[in-house]
Amino acid sequence: MSAATLLGVLAVGTVAGLDLVSVPQMMLARPLVAGFLGGAVAGRPLAGLGVGALLELFAFETLPIGAARYPDWGPAAAAAGALGARHGAAWDPVWLAGVTVVALVAAWLGGLTMHVVRRLNGAQLRRREADLVAGDPRALRALQAGGVLRDAVRAAVLTAFTYFAGGQVARQVRIAWHAPRALADVAVVGTALGVALWSAFRLYGRGAPRRWLAAGAVAGVAVVAGLLAW
Amino acid sequence: MPGFRSALARLFTIQAAFTYERMLGVGFAFAAEPLLRALDAGAGRAAGAGPGAGGARDAGAGGAAGAAAADPGPSGAPAFRAALARQAGFFNAHPYLAALAVGAAARAEVSGEPPERVERLRFALTGPLGSLGDRLIWAGWLPACAAVGLLLVACRAGVWAVVAFLVLYNVLHVWLRVWGLRMGWRSGIGVAAALASPALQRLLEVVAPVAAVAVGAALPSVLGWYPFAGRWEIAAGAGAALLCAGLVRAFQGRATGLVVAAGVLAVVIGVGVLW
Repeated sequence: MSAATLLGVLAVGTVAGLDLVSVPQMMLARPLVAGFLGGAVAGRPLAGLGVGALLELFAFETLPIGAARYPDWGPAAAAAGALGARHGAAWDPVWLAGVTVVALVAAWLGGLTMHVVRRLNGAQLRRREADLVAGDPRALRALQAGGVLRDAVRAAVLTAFTYFAGGQVARQVRIAWHAPRALADVAVVGTALGVALWSAFRLYGRGAPRRWLAAGAVAGVAVVAGLLAW
Repeated sequence: MPGFRSALARLFTIQAAFTYERMLGVGFAFAAEPLLRALDAGAGRAAGAGPGAGGARDAGAGGAAGAAAADPGPSGAPAFRAALARQAGFFNAHPYLAALAVGAAARAEVSGEPPERVERLRFALTGPLGSLGDRLIWAGWLPACAAVGLLLVACRAGVWAVVAFLVLYNVLHVWLRVWGLRMGWRSGIGVAAALASPALQRLLEVVAPVAAVAVGAALPSVLGWYPFAGRWEIAAGAGAALLCAGLVRAFQGRATGLVVAAGVLAVVIGVGVLW
């Protein structure tokens, strides 16, 4: 991969990381989008979209509510999407299992590092307390800029971590894997879909939405049947 | 509304300086600043903005903030600086619907409402705006749009799945920010009535069923999209999904689904390597 592509992946991951909380919160951080963009930068957008769609299932669990600590999927998905593109057209479940594990760890680390950024924002805020109490607009601008900068560094580091660690882990797993590939297939889809299923049940499994969820599931099964027939 | 565009643009960064001490407070003041500039041209212009505004209020404005703002300093009139200091205080709500509070609080400041009333308004809006946004966006619109995106991926829509997700989601997102800022500014201190807006209530009624149907349809469709080698693998994938959902439920409260999934995948990789 060229240096330009690597910089592109870092840029996409950074934008996706910023989007979650800092700016502009337009859901560029969702795995579906970040994975696609990561893949596009690396030259194969649809391969990135495939990885992103898989990670999107895990992300159904994430409700980014206020001060709660929640995973940051953007940088992880951007890097995983780029790895998907680099791997080529062949869909290798063993390789994908390695990338997915690292992406999950990176998303979790994303939540942890966001907590650190908020603490650092707090430290800067305490330093500028007097200016804030005096209503100085320059203090507001400095705090906003500081927050964006810290978040950008956080997102870039996470993207780089996922890209390099994910590539290494996936390569090693593929070399050392001896079981039937079907095991990796079933594990990757099973865990992603399992997390999404439980999240859907938690959100809509009670009261009136339950019957809508069931109706949707019937429609979804029909879609599967249609896709298989096609 | 003076400064509308600038305030709207700044609203997209409302969480940039998020802290546990003030939550969205700093971003709130940053977004409100262009609207509060009406107070910045000195007491005469501020007084024109509404009854009791400007210099008459500065003496008692917002406790410490008001006292500190007695010195106009290099960037702003006392009324402006006192208002800005108040708006930078603790505030927490859904980031999109915070636009409503920004508009309302700025209007209240410019109209010369007493500082205590402005602070009470901000405090009173925290809970309702947070709860409304969580139900409407995080638990409704976002999962619905993501599910539509996944369905389109399953139907081999490619790039259009991403485009559809982004457009669909952001239509409501951007509308909420624009509507919120306008409605807040129009309503001022009486903004609570805006929360009972028929459009908002109707959205709340339909968003959960729409999201439930979309998510219900999207999840099984993944089994048809994923390039399994054979049909028995699809059945095995569905079985593994149910098993994993059960595991996530069993660990609920102790570990998130993400952690459980990472653990399961790590074990499977271990098995695959030691096979």
